[in-house]
Order: sequence, then structure tokens, then C-alpha cells
Amino acid sequence: METGKLIQQLGKHKGTSNSSALRSNVGCISVTPEASSAFFTALKEDFAFDHCSLISAVDNQSGFELVYHFSIVGESGQMLEVHVDLPRDTPTIDSITHLWGGADWHEREAYDLMGIYFIGHPDLKRVLLPDGFAGHPLRKDYVYEIHEEEW
Amino acid sequence: MAEMWIHMGPQHPMTHGLWNLRIKVDGETITDAVPELGYLHRSVEKIGERRKYFMNTTLTDRLCYASAMTWTHCYCLTVEELMGVETPQRAKYIRTIVLELQRIASHLMWLGAYLPDLGLITGFLYGMRDREMFLNLLEIPSGGRLLYNYVRIGGVKRDLPPGFAAKAERVMQTLEQRLKEYEDLYDNSKIFRMRTDDVGCYSASDAINWGITGPNLRSAGVAFDLRQADSYDAYPELDFTPVTTSASDGISDCFSRYRQRIDEMYQSMDLIRQALAKMPEGEVMADSVPVRASGEAFRRTEDSRGEALMYLVGDGTDRPYRWKIRSPMFTTVSASPHFLKGYKVADVPAIMGSIDMCIGETDK
Amino acid sequence: MSRQQVRGNPRMRRGLGSRTSDPTTMMEDPPSGDWLTLRSDQFLKWVDDAVYNIAEQTGIRDVVNRVTRPIFNWALRYSPWPLHFGIMCCALEMGAAGGPDHDSERMGVVYRSSPRQCDILIVNGPVCEKLRPKLKTLYEQMADPKWVIAMGECAIGGGPYWDSYSVVAGADTFIPVDVYIPGCPVRPEALMHGFLTLQKKIREQEPGYFLRR
Ligand code: SF4
Repeated sequence: METGKLIQQLGKHKGTSNSSALRSNVGCISVTPEASSAFFTALKEDFAFDHCSLISAVDNQSGFELVYHFSIVGESGQMLEVHVDLPRDTPTIDSITHLWGGADWHEREAYDLMGIYFIGHPDLKRVLLPDGFAGHPLRKDYVYEIHEEEW
Repeated sequence: MAEMWIHMGPQHPMTHGLWNLRIKVDGETITDAVPELGYLHRSVEKIGERRKYFMNTTLTDRLCYASAMTWTHCYCLTVEELMGVETPQRAKYIRTIVLELQRIASHLMWLGAYLPDLGLITGFLYGMRDREMFLNLLEIPSGGRLLYNYVRIGGVKRDLPPGFAAKAERVMQTLEQRLKEYEDLYDNSKIFRMRTDDVGCYSASDAINWGITGPNLRSAGVAFDLRQADSYDAYPELDFTPVTTSASDGISDCFSRYRQRIDEMYQSMDLIRQALAKMPEGEVMADSVPVRASGEAFRRTEDSRGEALMYLVGDGTDRPYRWKIRSPMFTTVSASPHFLKGYKVADVPAIMGSIDMCIGETDK
Repeated sequence: MSRQQVRGNPRMRRGLGSRTSDPTTMMEDPPSGDWLTLRSDQFLKWVDDAVYNIAEQTGIRDVVNRVTRPIFNWALRYSPWPLHFGIMCCALEMGAAGGPDHDSERMGVVYRSSPRQCDILIVNGPVCEKLRPKLKTLYEQMADPKWVIAMGECAIGGGPYWDSYSVVAGADTFIPVDVYIPGCPVRPEALMHGFLTLQKKIREQEPGYFLRR
């Protein structure tokens, strides 16, 4: 499917906004966290995005932003970037692990390093840092001691 | 029979890096597996925010040390996208050549690490011997053996010296001869076949759902190669189709993953020859590269191990605001319990070795 | 009388050395006959009494040491077995040093996978907080005499990751390091030079005592 047509159709879904085309085969769209679950299901079932590439969490100071990258495994290499804005005090969103198995550890990593909670994730615990680590280090307000020495 | 948990790692000859595999066994059969990562978590994404854009190539080189060139290239491609820099045509060809050389070196490293796991110690010696030829080749333009810092934002560090093509051709001819020998040696080796045939199987549809990419996916018969699907550098101008193998229809096992990497080495050599023949003259570095950037960008490339994706957010300063790395192995390891279950404990090195672990990129 | 019967007979419990059935002589059996049935701590005490102290007093120990030291030192120097343990990039160069082009095996460097069989711990990469306790355990599991090589900038002082929140500032903050090899990455030749340096250190500092305490 062409990117223009794709984002046009996706834009009809509830809770979507700001749809645009980034490159010839890459689209971009924003979704509200409430509508995200239904949107992702449609993405998987109706639009055949069968590969979840990456889930990145961005700390925007005022809130968090989740950026999903989905792609189609096929000749076209069609990609879609989905932005979801989350409030700073309750950064929660529905898990997509049941749709894309590959999203499992990406969600765990976002929880580990950024402190985003994924509702419905089967095993949401730290993946890179040791258990009992205090805080979520990739947040901008995380401070740590740097052993800076005099040169 | 009582079930028990066995820890394999962090120091274990099977791991090929620094991670821990906990397996639950019932007798000799694996009933559950839990991979544990994070022993090499250097927080590259966080300290990358403290460094300027061009300084981060030091960190990306060290992301996956067996395939340093491809990761730096992925980063530079993303930053170029973010800053809107156009790379000169000759630099694109040079990048393609060094990327493919790096891919061969990485696959040879894998071959040298995998075969001793299965009891073929000579495999290590052969793999390392041939890898050394390619490291010497990459050392010519870059000056480094393992970590090159050769691909830069806007191009490459310096031009290929005269006579490089002839040297590369000689090395490739040697490798071609030797690969034929290895195929005779391993493909018909009873020990090797018994330990790899029908071990660690997964189907193509499962692999796509679990997020497995790269040679591990193509070994299940899926012709998906980002060099073609989301093309970059000189690849659109080269003539190739993704190579695939599969054990049986749409199933990947350890042996097909081995075959896949051997076939990819042949393909890489073909690509290098094409690129060397077509290479235009000209500059190798863009005229001006900005220091600051704003907005966001992502690019994905075909790393030696699968889909590498970098996502960058710039806030108008000379340092990235957020830098996120997708490592192909991170997802593949997360799927490993699925294809470990049901096999014997002795199959663990064969299975985990065959997916070509690299912990540096996984733990970031 | 076979050995089995001697050990199985409660009346003959005191060992092979006492070939008599007289109970009084059995009680005053000289310690030299007891080695077969002793527990390890008893054995050590017996070694102390029977060998070490006597050797010390009579001055034999010095003589023995002077004779055995070159042999032991030579053996230690030319069989430095490192632990097969890779952390990061420098581990690949460690592998390359063991490969056919550089072949560190000609200096006796054979990689072993069990810490119990090793003399050298090569720290070849950054030590993260999650890894530090495990590395400490590995070091403690190795049998004496043992040495540590800090390979690369990361192991020396954090390297490119010096300002990270999870990387320890150098291996020498928690284990003693004998040889530092700078480089990022350390070339195989440099690692071999490090082994030679360690050999020099062993030659000069390792007593190589036969009668070690
Ligand atoms: S010193 Fe450099 S090459 Fe060695 S492990 Fe550290 S970063 Fe890698």
C-alpha cells in the first residue's frame, strides 16, 4: 500500500492525529494512550504490520513520549512511526506483547530505564539493571555521581 | 524426576559473551529457559547525551565489537538524516565495500566461535586465520584492527589507497577457495550434521512475530533484506537478491543458519566486486557538516546480525537529546526460550551459538 | 595382608605403619605412620610437625628452596593459564592472540574454562555494577598463586565509559591488578607483551617455594 493512502486510512481511526509521510515508505502518526490498544490491534490485523521493530521512550520533561516503529516484512519495507504521549505522573499504557511477541523485552527495557508501566505485560521487571536498582536512569531528572578527576 | 534450574553463565564457555542463561531441566530435557542480560550494560544511550554528535562514533564502534563498521555506519546514516547531509557518491561506494568486508569478518568470527562449541576445534583456527586477512584489509584505510572509526558523519575518513582493489581481490579469491574446503569439511561431517540438523527449529511466521531479523530470519526462507527493502548507500545500484536457506519449508534449524551465513559470505564478495568495479571518482567527505541538529530521525540498516535501527531526537544543541538503539540480538535472545524448549542440555551451545550472539550491542 | 583388610579392621585402625597388635605401642605410634587415615586438617598438622618445622629448624628448607625454586619458577612462568572469560571488545583480541596468526600458545598460554585450573584472570572490558560481584567470586575461586591482567582502558579506569552510571572505575578498585596493558583495543601483540611482562614479574617476585606455607 502507498504511504499516502496508508496514513489516510489510519487517520480515520479514533484518537489519531498529525499523520504525515516521513520518507517514501515511512509514515508517521500520533495516537492517544486510551485509543492505542484498538489502534494497534487494527494495525496488526488489518494492515499486516507483522514486525515490531522498536519501542523507544523519550523524556520530554513535561511528559513522556513513546515512539513505536512497526514494519512489514516484505518487498516494500513499509514502516510506520507511532507517537503516544503519556502524562508524567502516571506513565501507563496497554502492553502490545500479545500482538507482537518481539515487543516483550522492548517494553521491559522501557520500564527498566524510563519507568513506563505496561499494563498486561506478562513479566514486567528490570532487564538490564540489577534488581533493586534505585530509579530509572534514562530520565532527564536522574542524577548520578560522575567520578570526574582533575586533568 | 525432579526438575531443577541450571545457570549457564556469566562465565561459561557456551555464552560467547557476558550473559546468563538459566535453564530448567527435567532429566536432560529443557522445559524452560530464562536469559538474563545486563552484565555489560554500559549505558551508552545515557552517556551519548553528554557527548557531541561526532564524538559518539567512538561509542557506536564499541557497540558490537565483532561488527564495528556497521554500527558506526548506522549511526552516521541517522545523523545525516537528522542534519540533512548528503554524502558524496564515492563515499557511498566506499561505505558499501567496507560494510561488506566487515560482514564477512563478522561471519568468519562467528564460524570460528561456533565450530569449537560443537567439537570441531580446527574450525576456530580456520575461522580466525581467515578473519585476520579481512582485518588486515580493513586496517589499510582505517588504521585500526578491530574498531575503525572510519565511517564519519558526511562520508568516510579517507579515500581508499591505490592498489586496494587488487589486494581485496586476492584476499577474496583465497577465501573463496577456503570456503569450498570448509563446506566439504563441515557439510558432510557426521558429527557436525548430527548436532545441527533439526536442532533449534523455529518457523518463519513465529520468527517474524518474535522480532527475529537478519540471517536468522532469512535462514527460515524469508527473503527480507534491508539492504534491498530499505536501501541505503550504493546498494540500490548493485544487482543482488537476498539469499535464503531453509531446512524444510519455512523452518530454520542450526544447520540452515550455518548455511545461510556461508552463502552470505559469497554474496558479500560478489557485492564487493560489483562496487569496486562501479566506484566513481570524487570526494569522500561532504563539504560542510553542521554541528547542531533539531527534530527527530531514524534509519535502519542490515547489520551482520539483523535489523539495526537508531532513533535520534535533537533539540537544537550539538548533543543528542535522546538516542535509542535497536539491537537485533536483544530481540532474538528474548525469543530464545521458545526454540530452546524441548531440546537436550547438550544442544544449548549448538542453538545459542547458531544465532550469533553479540552482547555488546544487546546490553548497550 | 592386603591394604583393604588393614583399613577395614578396627583393631588395626592406626594405619599401615604399625604392624604390631600390641595396644601400648599402637598409642605411641610415631606420626610418620598416620598419613593414610588422617583428615585434612590432621594431615596439615602432621606435615607441619613432621616436615615443615624440622626442615625449618635444621636449615634443610633453605637448601630445598634454593634447589627447587628455579624449577618451580620456570614452570609457573611458562604455564600462565588464563581464564577463558570475555567481557568486551578486548576479548576478541584475546581470542585473536590465541589464534593462528599470533599463537600465544607458544608461550604456554592455554585458555581454560574453569577458574579452579587457572593462574591468570584477564579483565578485558568494562566492569559493570551487575558484574562486579561475579568477577570477585571468580577471582576468589582461583587457586593461589594467581595474577590479574587489566587489559584495555576499560579495565584500567573505565575507558570510554568513564562517566557512565553503571561502569566501575577500573578493575583495581576491587581486585589487585598485576599488569596493566593500555590500548583501546589492545592489539594481540600488546597482550603478548603483557604476558612477557608478567613472566618477568613472576621471575622476580614469585618465591616458588617447594615448602610453601
Ligand atoms: S578498552 Fe576499548 S577495546 Fe577494550 S574493552 Fe574497553 S572499549 Fe573495548
